[in-house]
Amino acid sequence: MSGLLDYVPGNTFLHRLHPLSKLIFSFGLCLACFLTQNHWLVLGVIVCSLLQAALAGMLKPALAVLRALSKLSLLLFLAQVFFVRQGQIVLSLPLDIYITDQGLSFSCLFVLRLIAVTLPLFIMLSITRMSDLTNALTRLGLPYKYAFALTTAMRFIPLFGKEMSEIMEAQTARGVEFDSKNFCKKLKLILPLCLPLLLSSVRRIENSAIAAELRGFNVRKKDSGYKRYVLGRGDAAVLGALVLILAAVGLEHFYG
Amino acid sequence: MIRIDNLSFAYGGGEKKVLEEISLHIGEGDFLGIIGPSGAGKSTLAFAVNGVVPHHFNGDFYGRVTVDGLDSLEAGPEALARRVGSVLQDIESQLLASVVEDEILFGLENFSLPRAQIEERISYALAAAGISDLRARAISSLSGGQKQKVAIAAIMALRPKIMLLDEPTGELDPQSSLRVFETLSQLNRLHGVTIVVIEQKIMMLCEFAHRLAVMERGRLILEGPVEEVLLYPEKLEAAGVNIPRVATLAGKLRARGLYQGKTPLNIAQATAMMKEATKDAALG
Amino acid sequence: MLRLAEVSFGLEGERIISKISFTLGQGEFAALLGENGAGKSTLCRLSMGLLKPAAGRVLVCGQDTAAVKTSAIARQAGFLFQNPDRQICRPSVAGEIMLGLELTVPDPAERERRCRETLALFSLDPEAHPFNLSRGERQLLALASVLAPGPRLLILDEPTTGLDYRECMTVMEIIARRNREGATVLMVSHDMEVASDFARRVLVLNRGELAGDGPVREIMRDQALLQRASLLPPQIPALALSLGGQFAAAFTIEEMAALAANSRRGRL
Repeated sequence: MSGLLDYVPGNTFLHRLHPLSKLIFSFGLCLACFLTQNHWLVLGVIVCSLLQAALAGMLKPALAVLRALSKLSLLLFLAQVFFVRQGQIVLSLPLDIYITDQGLSFSCLFVLRLIAVTLPLFIMLSITRMSDLTNALTRLGLPYKYAFALTTAMRFIPLFGKEMSEIMEAQTARGVEFDSKNFCKKLKLILPLCLPLLLSSVRRIENSAIAAELRGFNVRKKDSGYKRYVLGRGDAAVLGALVLILAAVGLEHFYG
Repeated sequence: MIRIDNLSFAYGGGEKKVLEEISLHIGEGDFLGIIGPSGAGKSTLAFAVNGVVPHHFNGDFYGRVTVDGLDSLEAGPEALARRVGSVLQDIESQLLASVVEDEILFGLENFSLPRAQIEERISYALAAAGISDLRARAISSLSGGQKQKVAIAAIMALRPKIMLLDEPTGELDPQSSLRVFETLSQLNRLHGVTIVVIEQKIMMLCEFAHRLAVMERGRLILEGPVEEVLLYPEKLEAAGVNIPRVATLAGKLRARGLYQGKTPLNIAQATAMMKEATKDAALG
Repeated sequence: MLRLAEVSFGLEGERIISKISFTLGQGEFAALLGENGAGKSTLCRLSMGLLKPAAGRVLVCGQDTAAVKTSAIARQAGFLFQNPDRQICRPSVAGEIMLGLELTVPDPAERERRCRETLALFSLDPEAHPFNLSRGERQLLALASVLAPGPRLLILDEPTTGLDYRECMTVMEIIARRNREGATVLMVSHDMEVASDFARRVLVLNRGELAGDGPVREIMRDQALLQRASLLPPQIPALALSLGGQFAAAFTIEEMAALAANSRRGRL
């Protein structure tokens, strides 16, 4: 079972892109989502991301993320939509609760953005090897040590997730009921579990640091990288597409 | 290859000596198994060989450790790392890349190996660990035994003279443990690598190691060829180390006057022992 | 005590457990063996109600795990994980033991009594901070807090992995004592010697299927079965198989030594 943020091996057009293009493209898409006020454009970014996922042969995990995000989005949507009081009332409920057109529009945009920002990052991380990402970050001027620490930290996220679910499982086996509806009660149950997680994380990170040191991490030089990355036609196409998308956002902003 | 003379060590801030007056010589091409109860100082001794002690963990360090002629206090951990390849206990936290080949590349890049040699080293390491077919696989999709071999391959690529492994089969099933030890044995025989392995599975050590070192509470209590160490079952038991069943059987047969020969280390030798013990008694 | 009927389980379309049926009666001690990835841990989680079967039924002391909450199962059964650090979350040894009791034993006086009993049995210092204990001591503490409420069924997922020989024996002897007092035990282990010393019944799992189920002496001698499941027989049965003939039935060191002596006397 491959978890979230795990690399999905492949040799598709997207896998072969320059890691820097992948990085710029995914962050560019996120930027576009934040700049625009247009629902259709944001929806377009989501569609574009799913298309990318299909191209990279990872539509299934991407759809799984989309499903999980949709559930969260629905909650956020409901939490927001009743609080916007401006605009025309579309639906009126008893107890002075109503939904306005502005509220509807604002909440929709909010959750669409949430999805549209998460998907490209998820895909980028799934099709980029950690070492390539590290190299791309150094190309952007980040010192190798920091770039390596950053990507290693990302690699730890799924490990921590797994560990937390194991800890919760162990407590469930003792009779702790996590399926409580009461959020505060649940939080009270989960908080003490953070201590064992924290301690094992510290041990893990220490271990990683020693392992890296023992394999010459500290003697690495600036030109130690073995892989040479070349910008190809694919990169031009992807970056071109990004420019077009950003241009559309700009045009929409001024004339829309 | 490795000389440890009168080594004592206490971790910084701690009063208790984790290692006490340890002297141990490990020759080139040796295959040494280190065994002992938990808290005996086995991992710390391994750290003293690869320089993590005292360079990463400070503390009170007495005595001398020389590795391939280098004094571990004077040489930095990097110089030692070129000679000693280490596989640590927790396998999850030491695999640093997404894909098997990148994991192997990591060390090669760090030590700035000439570009022309890199490809050759990668294929050599994968073949030596018996995982050439895993080259393009995502590490997160591998089993525990496979991850262990990736860690071994990543070290092999650096062509160290010494390989140091801390409980490499801790979480593996019997068959995968056997395969890891077969891999180590092959590196030892075919590539002349000196192997030092900390292991709780005494049966694996008896089958594959040449020498055994038994530790208890920071001290080295027994050291020598495997058959000789097994001649002291009471001492081993007192230190909390079990001995293989066939070795215990040899003791029982000796006590009954049925057998005088060497202690068997594996099933084949035990079979020979039983044949000897039950062979035509009229002659005996 | 524990009954599985035609149990299947899968994740993301991948079959992990297929159609497993067996019943453990009161007081049985069964070892669950198989290679890494054979589905042993999944089977343990299904038996505890931590996972619910996709098909079939799991009954713990007559309760269907699919119909009741895991906390109800936890009143009857105890589950020990391989890594004690997943379980221990209280800042003192006594607190850790009390946590399991608070959730399963309603009477406070009874809780106090059991906590004291357990501390004495395990000779643990009640005030010690769990994270200052060694790995073996933490495993003992985890076992203590699982045993304190007096579960009738014990499910143990590799209880001795990562322990040295002495710690392993301490843990196993406490488990064996509980078993003699009537608790049913299902134990996953990679250590064939430990399994052959303590279990009376062996379940062999191979790629999610129950490949073998029988008395320990029979299973440990079934070379074809062990090989299929990527297992290695313990040393004495392996030696017995290699010798064959009159030695083929030897299972313990004493039996083997006695057979050797007899064969010699027979010829004199």
